[in-house]
This record gives sequence, C-alpha cells and structure tokens, in this order.
Amino acid sequence: MAGIMIYSDKDELSFELLSGAKLISGHTGLPINAVCINNSEQAQGLAARGAETYLINNEAINLADSQGMASALESAAIQLDANIILLSSNRRGKELSGRLAEKLAAGCLTDVGSIKVNLDKIECMRNSLGGAVLAAQMITSDYKIIAVEPRVFEEMAVGKEGPINNLKIEAQAAELEVLEQRAKVGDTANIESANILVAVGQGLKSENDMLIIKELAEALGAEIACSKPVATDKKWLPEERIIGLSGKKCKPDLAVILGISGQVQFTVGIRDARTIVAVNTDENALIMQMADYIMVADLHDLVPEMTRALLVKKRLNGVRL
Amino acid sequence: MEFKLSKEQELIQRTAKEYAEKSIEPIVKQIEDENKVPDEVIEGLRELGLLCLPVEEKYGGAGAGFEGFVVGLEQLARVSGGVGIFVSVVMLGTSTIAVHGTEEQKEKYLTGTCKGSWIPSVAMTEPDGADPRMLKTTAKKDGDYFIVNGTKRFITNTNFAGPMVVFAKDADTGRINGYIVDKFCEGYSISEPWDKLGSKGAFLSDVYLKDVKVPASNMLGTPDEGFQTLKVTMAMGKIGLSAIYLGNILAAYDEAFNYSKDRIYLGKPISQFESVRNSIVDIAMKYEAAKLMTYRIGYLADNTANKAKLVKDSAMTKIFVTETAVDVSRIAMNVFGSYGLMKDYKMSRIYRDAIVGPQIEGTANLLKTVVATDMYK
Amino acid sequence: MNIVVAMKQIPDLQQVRIRNRQPVLDGVPMTFGSIDKNALETALQLKEAVGGNVIVISAGTEELEDTVKEALAAGADEAYLVLDDELEHIESSVSAHLLAELIKQIENIGIILFGEGSGDNYSGQVGPRIAEILGLPEVGYVCDIELEDSRVKVTRSLEDCEEVVRVSLPAVLTVMADINEPRIPSVTQILKAGKKPQQILEVEDIGFDLKGDKKIVTLSSLAPENKRKQITVKNGEELVDALLTEGVIRR
Repeated sequence: MAGIMIYSDKDELSFELLSGAKLISGHTGLPINAVCINNSEQAQGLAARGAETYLINNEAINLADSQGMASALESAAIQLDANIILLSSNRRGKELSGRLAEKLAAGCLTDVGSIKVNLDKIECMRNSLGGAVLAAQMITSDYKIIAVEPRVFEEMAVGKEGPINNLKIEAQAAELEVLEQRAKVGDTANIESANILVAVGQGLKSENDMLIIKELAEALGAEIACSKPVATDKKWLPEERIIGLSGKKCKPDLAVILGISGQVQFTVGIRDARTIVAVNTDENALIMQMADYIMVADLHDLVPEMTRALLVKKRLNGVRL
Repeated sequence: MEFKLSKEQELIQRTAKEYAEKSIEPIVKQIEDENKVPDEVIEGLRELGLLCLPVEEKYGGAGAGFEGFVVGLEQLARVSGGVGIFVSVVMLGTSTIAVHGTEEQKEKYLTGTCKGSWIPSVAMTEPDGADPRMLKTTAKKDGDYFIVNGTKRFITNTNFAGPMVVFAKDADTGRINGYIVDKFCEGYSISEPWDKLGSKGAFLSDVYLKDVKVPASNMLGTPDEGFQTLKVTMAMGKIGLSAIYLGNILAAYDEAFNYSKDRIYLGKPISQFESVRNSIVDIAMKYEAAKLMTYRIGYLADNTANKAKLVKDSAMTKIFVTETAVDVSRIAMNVFGSYGLMKDYKMSRIYRDAIVGPQIEGTANLLKTVVATDMYK
Repeated sequence: MNIVVAMKQIPDLQQVRIRNRQPVLDGVPMTFGSIDKNALETALQLKEAVGGNVIVISAGTEELEDTVKEALAAGADEAYLVLDDELEHIESSVSAHLLAELIKQIENIGIILFGEGSGDNYSGQVGPRIAEILGLPEVGYVCDIELEDSRVKVTRSLEDCEEVVRVSLPAVLTVMADINEPRIPSVTQILKAGKKPQQILEVEDIGFDLKGDKKIVTLSSLAPENKRKQITVKNGEELVDALLTEGVIRR
C-alpha cells in the first residue's frame, strides 16, 4: 500500500498540492493521484498539469457535508491504494482532514507551513503554542493526512497532459441540507495574495487616523491588514483583514507593521514575509526583534512622512500620480 | 502562611477588571464631570455581584467576604476612584447593618440593596468634625419613635433612595447610637453636591435632618452597643479606602510603566534611563507593600469575630496605603513630566484621586492618635 | 436537552516568554483557549433560549479541576473531566477518543460545541474526529445557530462565502470567534463554581492506552530563528530609500 493522493475543493489550491505531491514523490518515488469531486473543470486543470486525475461524479456527494466527503475520499484512498493524503488547509479542508483521519485511523497535521522530505520521512512544520514555536512533526501511522496551508507551494505549471479517469464511488444522500449559499458582502480584500501589506494595530489612536494609513497603502500599492483587536474590538477593519493565528497567514514581499507590539498570535501570520518594517514607539516591542528595518517612532508622525517621501521619489522618477 | 489568591478570588479579580475596563473606563470622564455613577453602571455592578461583595448570600450578596471585596474593589478603583468610593460606601452601610442589625433590619435593608434598587449611606461627620464627642445630631425618644435632628457633612450617595445609618446622641442619655433612616423620608433634605478635587463620581453632599421620625425598631443594636457600632463603621470604612487607594497605586504603576516604554526622549524610550527605571522599581515595591497590608486587612475582617477590634489594624492600613498612593502618584507624575498634567492623560486623574485619600475618613494624624491610644493603653 | 461544550486547558499564551528559542512555561497559569470561551457562550445562549443543561467536557492535567471553574463560573452547569498528568501534550486523535468517551456518558445530547481551533495548536481536528467517532453530522466555522425542534439551522462562514445548512440533532458544531462576546462571570456564579458537579474519570477508567496510540512524533519544537537584518532607520525618507534599494518597492 503506497501512494499519494491529493484533494482540495479549490482549484488553485489543488494545483499547489500537486507541487507538494511532486516534492514527496521525488524523494519516495510514490505515484501521485489527484482526486476531484463533481468538478470536471478542476479535473481538466489538474490533468493539464500532468496529474493522473480521478474524477468522481456523484451528485449524492455534497461538498458541504464533511461526513459524506470523508467517506468518498476514504473509498478513493483505498481504491487508489494511497496512504499519503494531501489536503488543503482552508476551512473546508481542515474540517475534512479531521473526519477523514478518524476514518482511516490516521495521524493528521493541519496548517502545515512547509514540508521537508528526508529519505522516506515527511517532516511537516506547523505552528504550536499559539505560534510561539514552530514544531517539526512526522506522522507515524500507516495513513498520513497532511493539510497544507495556501501558498506554501507554487501552483504546478501547465505541462505534459495527464489522463482523466472516472472513479466510481458509492455514496448515500447527505443528511446535511444546504439551504443557501451567499457571497460575503462588503470587503473582499485578499491580504494573503498581496505583495505588499501595511498592517496596523492598537497603536492607531482613532478610526480617523485610518486615512493616513490608506494614503500610505495607496502610495505603496499595498493592501491594508491589521491585528485582531483592530477588527474584533474596535471594528475599524473587517475580520478578513486580520493577520495571525486565527486570521490570515501572509507571505508578502514587504510588510510594514505599524503600532503592533508583536504578540506571537499576530506574528505567526506575518513572519514569513520577505522584508519586515516595524514602526513602534516601544523600542523593546517584540515586533522589533523580527524586523529588517526598525523605526522607533509614533506611527502618526512616521506614516505621513513616509507617504511624502514615497510620492516625492516616484515623481522624481517620472511616475505620474 | 499563604500569599496566593484562590482560583475563585483570581476570577473575582478578573471579573472586576474586565467589567471596569469594558463598562467604566470609556465613561470615566463623564462620571467625573457629572459627579454621578450612571444607573447602568450601578445595575452592571449589581448584576455581577460587585456591588455587594461581602454581603452574605442569603440577603442577595455575593458572599465573597472581605478578601473578595478588597481584591474586587482594587480593580474597580484602578479605573475610577469615584466608582470605588461609591461601592465602598455601599459596603460600609451594609456592613454596619450586617454587624449590629436585627434579622428584620438585615432582611429588609441588605436584601433591598443587593437585589432591589437601594443604595445605602452612612452619616457620621458633622460640620464640627467627625469626633464622636462633638456630635450634635440628636435622637429624642417619643413613644415608638425617635425624633432625629441635625446636620451631617460630606455624606456619600445621599441622592439615592435606601437606608442611611445616622449616628446621633440620645437627647436624654447622651449615648451615641446608629439609627437607620430611610432617605427621602419626611424631614430629610440634602445640600447641593460638593465638588471634590479628585476621586470624583460618587455624589457627596450635606444632609439636613429636621424632626425626622425614625421607628424605635430602626435603632442599630442595643442602646449600650452604640459605641461598638461606631467602631465597626470606622474600621470598615478604612478597609474600603485601603482597597480603593491600592487600586489607585496600581493605576499609577500601570500608567508610569507603560509610559516609560512608549515615551521617546533623545531617540530612546525613557525606560532606558536609570533614573526612570529606579522610579518604576520604587513604585513596584510600594505597590507590593500596600497590597500585602490591604489583602491582610481583608483576611482579618473575614477572620475576626468582633469587627470592632479591627480599628487599629484598619487605621494603620488606611494611613499606609493612602500615603503610599500620594507618594506613588508623585513618582509616577515625575516619570510623565508635563504630559501628566494634561487632562487627556489618565495620570492627571490618578494624581488628583490620590491626593484625596489621606484627607478622608480620618486624616493620617487623627488616625495615628487612634492607633497610638490603642498601643499605649 | 444537554448541550456539551468541549474546552481545552492551555497555558495563558500572553504570559509565555521565549528563552533560547524554548518557550518558558514555568509559572504560567492555565486557562481555556479564547475561542473555547465563544463556544461556551454559544451554549449558554442556547440554554437561555430553549432550556437544557450546559455540560463542559475537557481532558488535561490535575490543574484542570481548578481551571474548569472558569467555565462553571461563566454558567456551565456541570463538568465531565478526564484527569491525568500525562495529558499535558496529547495529540488530537487521543483527545478525540478521550472526549468521545466522556460524551458517551452523557444522555440526551442535543449539540456538541467546539471552538474552531484550540488556543495553542489551532489544529481544528478534534471536533470533526469526534463527529466521526460518534457517527454524527458536523458543521464547522459556524457564525449563527437557529434551533428548530430536532434539527438545527446554522450558518457556516467560509473564506469567500457563507453557507446556510440544516442538520439533524445531535450534531457537532465548531464556532467562530466572532459568533458572540463571552459574558463576564458574576461573583455569585464564581463562588458557586466549585460546588457544581464534576464527574472525574481517570485514563484507566476509560481503558485507553495513552502511549500505544501515538500517531504523531514531534522532532523539534523551537521558536523560529530570527534571521532579520535589524537595521534601525532614523526617518521616513531613510526608510523609503532602504526599501527602494532592497527592491521590495518599485520606483
């Protein structure tokens, strides 16, 4: 019994998992099977990226029903002789991982931030203790379920076409009934995919000061993000913009962190940024220890100054404003 | 010897802190300006059991004892000295009735306070001072009633309905006793409120009692217990003040410590300067000392059968804590410099609150006389 | 109807300091994860709306007997606990099996609530695992609950959409942190907490072999290494210049 199986409800995440599977396969030589459920478009996408793709078409399987979904993937794993199962660590993926793991008596790691393969051992890194530490862990059970965070792997590029096979899975009608699905209203910012982030915290004195933050973000071409209290307590920004353990984990090229002390519950969501700028009045703030550029200053003074400097330099370089 | 809060006390501390930060902190300025603790705060305190911490459960109190009381009140007063005084006076009224009241009195007045809408007061001080020997308010027996006449000064919570324990001299025997007067009864009136320098928020005024008819059954204790009742009241008041000004010290400590990390001077936080660091350490030491004394007096209050015996220890605690609060505020103010003077900064409120402590419910000099009398007797 | 809330005892993360890349846990008090408190609040609100009993379940070290008072003070009626000093660092599958055994001792269960992730590991597995062990439907990331007789209508909050679903009871639900604001426990309730019933089980009572069922090994657990440049800049212009030079912002 050996093989790798990947599944995600999101097309782009499944393409990322394919890259992850390639990494493991490269070390272990195990075959890769990509599974799609009631989603032929995704199957074509995976096949276009060279995956041995298995499409399950069965309307009785309901994406919203983790019970039925776990059953379907359990059958697929058995039929495809796969013991290493890569899932995406988005909300649906995490729900599914636990349930599937229990079915297969498997060890399971979610929110996996990176994978290293040593001979045939798959080491997964994930945050622990609220993000204070990074744990390297390994699953020792026969079945292994690994839920990988978005953007850990690059999407596999389109290449040699793989086959699409139909996989027949029996399923009982779901007990769960979907009554409605609606898009989230309002803010649709995706801070996870932004190249530059400006993150504000409790150092921001009033909601009005958000204006200077917006100006800076505009000058930088950045998205605005925040620490949890700014969204949940003060409600100055929507929760979609929270960085941290219970928010988004972001890996921008540049993160400008303003007035955030740097509790681990926050930093865990930004420490993989390529370059970090920290602006804080407290020289000893934890955030300063993890910054590339440190500026001891009140953000209310620094932000307009930085915006001005940016605009001047852009103008000097002939950029139209 | 155990210097550790129980899990329950830790949770009481957390409840008081969370409530104070969530519901009092945002309106501290309003409470000070209006000299009034808003009804919704009183209701909030009552619902969470913070209004009647030491009152027994059977009367609707929280039953947290005086240990629970000092731990909780410290956190409330950390955010607002005025709310601290308000809650402390409720304790003073209910404790005085709890110690020497009859079952009927307790049932009526304690339950009415903890579960109903009453807010008690205690009236001792008069325009001439607070020395029992100088009391001019009289109670004259008239059939089933006492007729009470006199003027009381600097009395808290006089604007709320509820019981007021009035200390008065028996017009015939000259003995002092406490009488429970229902506020707003016939003959009860109050002055315009006094406007204190600090620890503002609880309504403070003079009280005029003109031919107030008090049922004889409203006298506290037996006629010869009056002086004991007075001693209990004095001791309890000092316990409340100790907890309030411990909270004030904690507030100054928090403010100064945080400010020292935030304030940049010559390119670095002032916490990098040794003089500031030493100031912060001084504050921390003083807080610990004041805390030990305050928590201990809470312990003694729970473990002393005759509460009148707490007069000396409670006076020593009150002197120490209130004077320490003034010291700490001065040190903390020096950490702030001019910013601390600005009303936008909490430090200015904390400083004004601190100044009040040593002057109320017995100045340090007066209380030292009390302590010395006990020591040399 | 009994409403069960699973809570996890964790060290107070605000107080954890790092020394030599190792977390210092000595003297750090234990508490419950913050989202667990939202799950408890959800249960209390359901109880207020439709009646029933709120039962907290948890597995942990001996200190849990004290920690659970936080939940009982907030209004839970009863606690079912597995206590063992070996339960300090257990993996999700073990937690799930221990908690499932506790749940089996409780009759007439309507809803089993979890936070969407524990305060320390945030792995989010235990709820779905327990649903699987008990053969129950499960809905994760719930931001709204409406009880309807023997069913429940819940809104699940996904990254890009909200989904309203209906499942039959009993069901396992995991809730989001913003579903409610946990109440402040009253002093009266705090002082009653210690007197509320606690059913305490040992691992042996359940017949579970803690060591035999390991599915995960931890190779290392260290605070991430700090490989940052740590350059102090004096003003906004200097900062912008440095970022341009570095190439992270374009001219």
